[in-house]
Amino acid sequence: MEFSGEFDLADVPPEKAWVVLSDPYAVRNSLKGCRYITPKDEDFSFDTYEPEEDVETLPDADPDDVAARAFQEGTEYAALMQVGVGSVKPKFETTVTIDERDEEEFIMTATGSGNASSSSFSMNSGMHIHPSEDGDGSRIEWWTEADVSGRIAQLGSRVMNPVANKIVGNFFKDIEKQMSDVEATDSSVTDRIRSLL
Amino acid sequence: MSSDFTDGDEPREFVHDDDGGPDPETHCGHGRGGMGEEVRRKEDKRFITGRGNYIDDIKKPNMLFCDIVRSPHAHARIKNIDKSRALDVDGVVAVLTAEDLLEHDLATMPTLMSDTQDVLVRDKVKFQSQEVAAVIAEDRYAARDGADKVVVDYEVLDPVVTAEEALKDDAPVIRDDIEGQTDNHCLDWETGDKEATDAIFEEADVTVSEQMLYQRLHPAPIETCGSVADFDPGKDKLTVHMTSQAPHIHRTLFSQVSGIPEHKIRIVSPDVGGGFGNKVPIYPGYVVSAAASYVLERPVKWIEERSENIQSTGFARDYDMTGELAATEDGRIQAVRTDVLADHGAYNAVAQPSKFPAGFFKIFTGSYDVDAAYGSLTAAYTNSAPGGVAYRCSFRVTEAVYLIERMVKVLADELDMDPAEIRRKNFIQPDQFPYETPTGWNYDSGDYEAALDKALEMADYEHYREEQQRRIENDADKLIGIGISSFTEVVGAGPGKTCDIAGVEMFDSCDIRVHPTGNATVRVGVQTQGQGHETTFAQIVAEELGMDVDNITVEHGDTDTDPYGLGTYGSRSTPVAGAAAAVAARKVRDKAKSIAANELEAAEADIEWDRQSGEFHVAGAPDRSITITDIAASAYMNHPASEEPGLEAVDYYDPPEMTYPFGSYIVVVEVDRETGEVDFEKFVAVDDCGNRINPMIIEGQIHGGLAQGIGSAMMEHVTFDDNGNVTGGDFMNYLLPTAKEIPNFETGHTVTPSPHHPIGAKGVGESPLVGSPPAIVNAVVDAMAHEGISHIEMPMTPDRVWETLDSVGLSRDPSDSFEIEFGDTGAEPADD
Repeated sequence: MEFSGEFDLADVPPEKAWVVLSDPYAVRNSLKGCRYITPKDEDFSFDTYEPEEDVETLPDADPDDVAARAFQEGTEYAALMQVGVGSVKPKFETTVTIDERDEEEFIMTATGSGNASSSSFSMNSGMHIHPSEDGDGSRIEWWTEADVSGRIAQLGSRVMNPVANKIVGNFFKDIEKQMSDVEATDSSVTDRIRSLL
Repeated sequence: MSSDFTDGDEPREFVHDDDGGPDPETHCGHGRGGMGEEVRRKEDKRFITGRGNYIDDIKKPNMLFCDIVRSPHAHARIKNIDKSRALDVDGVVAVLTAEDLLEHDLATMPTLMSDTQDVLVRDKVKFQSQEVAAVIAEDRYAARDGADKVVVDYEVLDPVVTAEEALKDDAPVIRDDIEGQTDNHCLDWETGDKEATDAIFEEADVTVSEQMLYQRLHPAPIETCGSVADFDPGKDKLTVHMTSQAPHIHRTLFSQVSGIPEHKIRIVSPDVGGGFGNKVPIYPGYVVSAAASYVLERPVKWIEERSENIQSTGFARDYDMTGELAATEDGRIQAVRTDVLADHGAYNAVAQPSKFPAGFFKIFTGSYDVDAAYGSLTAAYTNSAPGGVAYRCSFRVTEAVYLIERMVKVLADELDMDPAEIRRKNFIQPDQFPYETPTGWNYDSGDYEAALDKALEMADYEHYREEQQRRIENDADKLIGIGISSFTEVVGAGPGKTCDIAGVEMFDSCDIRVHPTGNATVRVGVQTQGQGHETTFAQIVAEELGMDVDNITVEHGDTDTDPYGLGTYGSRSTPVAGAAAAVAARKVRDKAKSIAANELEAAEADIEWDRQSGEFHVAGAPDRSITITDIAASAYMNHPASEEPGLEAVDYYDPPEMTYPFGSYIVVVEVDRETGEVDFEKFVAVDDCGNRINPMIIEGQIHGGLAQGIGSAMMEHVTFDDNGNVTGGDFMNYLLPTAKEIPNFETGHTVTPSPHHPIGAKGVGESPLVGSPPAIVNAVVDAMAHEGISHIEMPMTPDRVWETLDSVGLSRDPSDSFEIEFGDTGAEPADD
C-alpha cells in the first residue's frame, strides 16, 4: 500500500517545522495510539520499558533537551503503537531506523517494521519540508510505502485505507497545532536547537 | 444373507432379504418407528434443552489450554523464534515449536493424500495463518497473551495466490521441501476417451464452451475445530476428544504419527456442531494438543477461533473449469469435454479416497446418455491453506454437477431450446439401468424424467415462462429467470477395493446388542455431526428387527466401544453404515429364528418373520407367534442348546457399488435491473434418494443444504489479496446466508430404490448443495439470456449481477424510475 500527501503550514517556516518534526516527544504526542518513541538500545525491552510521562515539548521545553533527544540519522528507535481497525486493535511493537536526515533540505526518511498479535507491517517513509511558494510558511510533503500482513490486512484496503488516512490526517492536524504554539515563541529558540542538532 | 458376498474381481451380487426388504410403496414404519415414519429426532431433546456436549463443554481437572501462534505472512522463511517473552507471561507453562515436536517425532503429519504437512512450521511458512508455535497455559487468556509474546523473525518471500500464477515459469517455488520439485505443479489427472471425444467434437453440428470458476468456499461449521487431549501416564493411554467426522481412521493416523500403539489411543467425537467435510482431515491443533498432553502429562484443550477455522482448515472447491458440449442440431448431447485448473493450496491435502486425485469429478456427464467424454485436470500448489475437502459433497461431485448442469443451459440457449426439453431429450432412460457412463461409473437406478416432471408441475413452470416473456415485452423493472438442475450424484464410498482413506478400505460397520429386557444398543462406525443418526439408524434396526424404535439406542463416535468405521462424509452413512445396520439386524433376526423355533416348538426352517407385525411365527400358523422382546428374554434365560446365549451381531459392510441419488430442482428468480438484487420467487426441490428412512429428517437435510447452496451461489467466497492475506476469512467478510436470505422451499420426492442396497436407500445429505447452485445460476442467467448472457460467476453478488445486466444494456439507472414535475412551464430544472 502506498500513501502520500502534502499539507501547508501557512505561518510556520521550514526551520521551525523541522525542529518540531525532529522531536520524538512532539511526534509521539501528535500520533494517536502511540505510547512512546524512544532510542532502542541493546537492553531495550518492550515488556519492561516505561516511558517518561509529562515531558515538556516546545515551546515550554528546555531547548537543550529538545536538541539532545532529536532524531538522529542511523539510530534505531522503538515505538509502541496501537491501531484500531474496526474490532481489531493490535498493539504494534515497532522498530524504526532513521535512514537519512538532511539538515539543509529538511528531508528525513525512515524504515521500520512492527509486529502485533497476528499482524505485522513493514514500511518505508519520508518527508520533505519545502518553503512555501508564497510567504514564510512551509509545505510538507510526506510519503509512506507499507506492506501489511496478517489480521489487520485481512480487513482489506477498503477498511484499512480510511484508517490510515485518518491517522495521518490527525497527526498533521495536531502537529500543525503544536507548530503554531512554537510559532508564538521566539524563533531564536528554534534557531538555537537547530544549531545544536 | 446379504452379507454373503463373494470376494473377487467380479462385482458382487447383492442378495435381497427373504421378503425382498422394505417396500417403497407400502412400508410405513408399521407403527413401530421403522422405515418411512417421521420419528422425532432422539438427539433433539439434549440439543434443544442445552444439554449437548461439544468439545468446549468438556472440562477436565488440571486442564491446560493451547493457543496457536500463526504466521501473518503467506510465504516466509522462519529465521528465529524467541519464546522467552512468552514464557515470562504469568500462567504460561510451555511454548512448543517444531524443534520441540521433532524430539518426539511429531513435527510433521501425513495429509489424507500422502503429502507431508508441518504440524508447526520447521523452515518455511506456506500460507497465511499457518501454525508456527503453540503456547500452553493455565487458562485461555494466559495462552493468548503468551501467543502474542512469541517473537518470530521472518524473512518474507514473494507469495503466489492463484493456481494460474503458480504455474507460470517465474513463480516462486512453494514446495522446495519436496525432493525434485522445481515448480508449483501438484498433479495431472485425466479420464474418459480423448480420441473418441475429440472426434465427435470435430464432426458435431453444434459445440458450446464456457469457462466457470467454482470459487473457494469454506464449509464453515458453526462449531470450529477443537480437541481435549489427555495422556494418562498411569495407563500409558491417550484419550482425545475431538471434532472428528472420522474417529476411527483418526485413531489409526494418530497411532502412526505418534508411535503410540493404537489400542492405547481412544478418540471420542462427542456432539459435533456441523462438519460438512471440514472435520475429516487431521489438523495441527489436534496433534499439538496431544503432544503437549503427552509431554506435560496434563489434559490440554485447543479450540479454534472462527477466523482460524476459515483461514487454516480445509477449504472446498476452487476448481476453474472449462466445459464443452458437442450436440446435434436438434439438441442431442453427443460428448462432454472439460479441463480443470485446481488450486490445492500449500499441501496436497484433499480429503478424498486415495485412488481418486480428482475425487469423483468424473461424474461430469451427469444424468445424460452421451456417447463419449473426456476430462483433464491440473492441480497447483499455492500460498493458501490446504484443502479440497468434500464440503457437503461426495468428493468433487458438486463441481462436476455444476459444470454439466450449467453447460446444458448454455447449450439450450445456443439452440434456443427449452432447458427442460433438452434435458428430457438426453436423460438416461429407466430401462438403461444399470448404466455404465463413458467415464466408468455404474449407475444403479434412476428415473430422471419422473423427478423433472414432478418439479415442473410443482414449480408451475409454464406460468413462469409466460410471466418471463410478459416482463420482457413490457420492459419491466424486474426480470424473471427460471433455472433447472437435474443432477445425479455418486455417494456411498466404498467399495473398499476401489475406495480407501489412507489405505483403509471404505467399509462401515454396525454392532447390535439386544438386551434381556428386549431393548437394544446399536453402535455404528460412522459419526454424526447433526445428521440425525441416532434416529435414522434406530429406525433401520426397528424396521429389520420388528422392535419399537423407542427401545433402541444408537451410540457412535467412541473408538473404545464402537466398531471400526470410516466416518461420515460423502453421504456415505446410510449407504454404507445403514446397510451394515440392516445386515447386522438380519443376522440378529437369523439367530432370533432359532430361538423362536425353540420357544414355539417348531423346526427353524418353518419359522417366518413378518415385516408388518414384526413377529416371528410358524409358517402357516400366524397365531403361533413370538415377539422380539420375548425372544430377547429367551436368548438369556432359555437359550436353545444349539445356540450360544445372548442376542447380538456385528456387520462390516463393504458395499458392492456406490449409490446414485438424483433429483430435479427448479428455481425462479426475479432480478432487479436497478440494484442487481436477486429475489427467489419459487424454489422447488424434488429428490430421489431411494427408499426413505425418515422423511422429516430428509426434509431437514434438504432445507439446510439448499440454504448452503444459496450461500455458495450468492454470497460465499474465500478471497485473498496479492500478498496472500485472506480477505474473506471471517464472518464479516465471508458471508453466510441467514434467515433473511432464505426463501420458502417446496420439497417433493420420487422413490427409485437402489437395487443393491439392503434397504434400497441411497443417501441424501448432500444432494441439495450439489444440485442447487447450478439451478440458481441458471435462473439468474436465464433472466438475461434473451440479451445473450451465457454465464455469471458465483457468488452472484448484486454488483456482479448489475454489471452483467449493464454489459448488455439491461441495467436501469435508479434516477430513471421517478420523475420530478416542475409545474407546467416546461422549463428545464436549473443545474443547481
